[in-house]
Amino acid sequence: MTLLRRHALTAYALLVVGYLMLPIAVVILFSFNDPVGRFNYVWQGFTLDNWVEWDASLGLRDSVLVSLELGLLATLVATALGTLIALAIVRHEFRGRATANLVVFLPMSTPEIVLGASLLTLFLNLTSVFTLGFGTIFIAHVMFIISFIVVTVKARLIGFDRHLEEAAMDLGANEWTTFRKVTLPLLAPAMLAAALLGFALSLDDFVITYLNAGGEQTFPVYVWGIARVAVPPQVNVVASAIFLVAITLALGNAVWQIRTARRQRQGAR
Amino acid sequence: MTRPLTRRQLLERAALGGAALTLPGFLAACGGGGDGGDAGGDELAAVLRFANWPLYIDIDEETKKRPTLDEFTRRTGVAVDYFEEINDNAEYFAKVQGPLSQGRGIDRDIFVFTDNSRFPGLLIDEGWVQKLDKELIPNISNLIEAQASPPFDPEREYSLPWQSGMTGIAWNEELTGPVTSIEQLFEDAKLKGKVSMLMEQADSVGLVMLANGDDPAEVSDETYDRAIDRVQAAVDSGQVVRFTGNDFAQPLTQGELAACVAWSGDMIQLLADNPKLKWGVPKDGGMIWTDNMFIPTGGSVPTASTYMNYVYEPPVAAKIAAYVNYVPPVQGAKEELLKIDPEIANNTLIIPDDELLAQLHQYDSAALANDEHISKWQTVLGQ
Amino acid sequence: MGNFLHRHRRLTPYLLLAPGVAWLAVFFLVPLAFLGYQSLQSGTFPNYEFTWEFANFTEAISDYREQLFRSFLYAGIATVVSLLLAYPLVYWIAFRAGPWRNLFLLFIVAPFFVTYLIRTLAWLNILADEGPVVGALRGLHLLGPNEGLLYTTLAVVAGITYNFFPFMALPLYVSLEQIDARLLEAAKDLYASPVRAFLKVTLPLSAPGIVAGTLLTFIPAAGDFINAELLGTPKQQMIGNVIQAKFLESLDYPTAASLSFVLMAAILVALLVYARAVGSERLTG
Repeated sequence: MTLLRRHALTAYALLVVGYLMLPIAVVILFSFNDPVGRFNYVWQGFTLDNWVEWDASLGLRDSVLVSLELGLLATLVATALGTLIALAIVRHEFRGRATANLVVFLPMSTPEIVLGASLLTLFLNLTSVFTLGFGTIFIAHVMFIISFIVVTVKARLIGFDRHLEEAAMDLGANEWTTFRKVTLPLLAPAMLAAALLGFALSLDDFVITYLNAGGEQTFPVYVWGIARVAVPPQVNVVASAIFLVAITLALGNAVWQIRTARRQRQGAR
Repeated sequence: MTRPLTRRQLLERAALGGAALTLPGFLAACGGGGDGGDAGGDELAAVLRFANWPLYIDIDEETKKRPTLDEFTRRTGVAVDYFEEINDNAEYFAKVQGPLSQGRGIDRDIFVFTDNSRFPGLLIDEGWVQKLDKELIPNISNLIEAQASPPFDPEREYSLPWQSGMTGIAWNEELTGPVTSIEQLFEDAKLKGKVSMLMEQADSVGLVMLANGDDPAEVSDETYDRAIDRVQAAVDSGQVVRFTGNDFAQPLTQGELAACVAWSGDMIQLLADNPKLKWGVPKDGGMIWTDNMFIPTGGSVPTASTYMNYVYEPPVAAKIAAYVNYVPPVQGAKEELLKIDPEIANNTLIIPDDELLAQLHQYDSAALANDEHISKWQTVLGQ
Repeated sequence: MGNFLHRHRRLTPYLLLAPGVAWLAVFFLVPLAFLGYQSLQSGTFPNYEFTWEFANFTEAISDYREQLFRSFLYAGIATVVSLLLAYPLVYWIAFRAGPWRNLFLLFIVAPFFVTYLIRTLAWLNILADEGPVVGALRGLHLLGPNEGLLYTTLAVVAGITYNFFPFMALPLYVSLEQIDARLLEAAKDLYASPVRAFLKVTLPLSAPGIVAGTLLTFIPAAGDFINAELLGTPKQQMIGNVIQAKFLESLDYPTAASLSFVLMAAILVALLVYARAVGSERLTG
């Protein structure tokens, strides 16, 4: 009976992943489509041309590079800043704690159009400092990602077992060393999960980016723009490629972990 | 003040490769992007900064260059920074209204807005666009008669058409016979729940007004309310299921929708993939809209005007129309198109004949700014 | 470094907060203040005047009650469904997936690598009336011969659920991942059934994750507009659509601004009720 239950959970997990991946499968499928016109709605024939000439759509490649660069940079900075905030709120009692908590929730509850527009107004009033472009999009992305990082990392910090830290300090480590050697490694998976969420948010954002980008284009801005008159299969190709590269990296990571675990077990003997 | 070249500009320059080989072109490429911003002076700027809608100019798919732009650079020595950053009138306006309302430029010499939105009228009324230098645009005489005197710019002082498009009814032959009128769209029981209209007020309300026997070029509160009530009734009964931008395309192709209020240009592309799709002007009349070029505050009037003159040469207009598949506003474009691509030249969706043109109407541009009307329309949309 | 922090212990929280809060202060609070200023303006574009127009708020609430309520309803349903769908999956990833964890976390987030528009077009493809899903449902008599899945409330809520799934799953994972498997073993050793072990050990320990996930899903979902725009009819429009239209089409910035504040206030009220219900330590620790 427990065997069934055990496999039932795995089956369920795979089903849900299947559901999540269903549109991706369609996207990958249609990246091989060979449409006559400019839209990619009807399956007409299989071709590898789109993959060979993935760069055929003018502006597509640049927009993808900008999106990836932006995503990585903004996520890095936001994760760092957000983790610090989470640490402060969860581990310290101080005046202004409730306010800080509140301020963190506010960006998430503000509709994107007004958030983007009022940020744009700020930039426009300070043109001596800010030029609309990559820099302003970067600022905007960090701004709206921080909240998500804070809430996610907090979930790990609440109920964090402090005994390990206390043990470290009993053994003579000061607070900074304890943080570096004990807390941070334990927090790392949560920070990674939060960063993943932040990266996804950044990659997908359209409204705030569009308003604050000046002439710069990210991948969503490019797609929303061109979708009015065309949906080139190359868009599917690029999206599929990003997905497949990420999966490959994750697979590599999994294999590496299996190998390391095996080696450790052998070493232990 | 010269801004350093951004990476993007560098790539654009590299793409314009051929242009850089001429001395003026080379100087333009090295000159940096900042010089076009000064509105004063009669000189041509080093760079023309042109903001437009995506895929709205000819592209050579092999070389990934834009031939007419390259030709312009070859002739005048002015490089072109082309930005495909307009995907919606309202969204683009939201992006640029900040600096414009403060009297500042937006680093563009030309941008393009559709005349069936409130924005052309607004831009002119507020003084956020500059007058064209008509002495630099002798080819303005090539402008087709129908576009000579639009209500928002009767003397054509501020704008010139880029391309036009038509609004009519598209249908899927697999699901229904020809849908030739708004009446049929609203009343045919077979279509129930499979009809969509466009979100753009002028397109949808205009067609309904025509079906009511009213003139969309002269909108009164009465005629407006009559049309709105009719649309609301169709929504309430479930006949009209939704309002779309151009996202009617996929559902129509897949049979999710049977008939839609739709633009002509999109249909040409959709038809290529699915011959079961048809488009026609309703029997009571259709709408015609035009994307217009304007020179925003801070743009270089001489440079922009020179470019406008260039695209009003029939051969150039023909080249652009051949790729874009919308209606060129230039007389003589058809003759030139016959030389390049007779099939396109004879496609009445791209070059409408006089009979078709007579059935097309424009929307009252003063009414476009009527806030009450806009409010009522938003209510129909559920917003 | 360590000694400095030790001596200035009182300062530590403020030092930790400083960079992040400074960023938010400049790039969020200042724009928000401007938005507040806008919300009290009146007049027509572009000639607004600041007139302490509190009527903007009352009008906003009375005119758009329906959309406000609907937004909370849709966001609420999406959050609950998301939680129910995600929890078993995340449980499996945290306890059973072993070295494949990161791969599956990636699967959860992967839909975001494909822009919203493209994946929604894919869904429109999959759920089309002529497609396999509707065909199967009609065959099972769950749908009438003329009924479809698209352009319905179901489609919009399903779209929101799918869209915000990672926002529920990842925080859940974060708190499930830290649970020491030995606690569960101990429970088993003490003769607890798997269900009891789950209810008494796992579920309470994962509570912070549940709270975080529900917040990260509900709050942004309430302001969502894009799912209703692409998947819905006029009867499914949410407050996000209204704000979008007021801002872009009507050029009515004061109303858009005041509606945004109404939404924010409503969310904060919901937050307070929620905090009361789950205990505020869950939110702050």
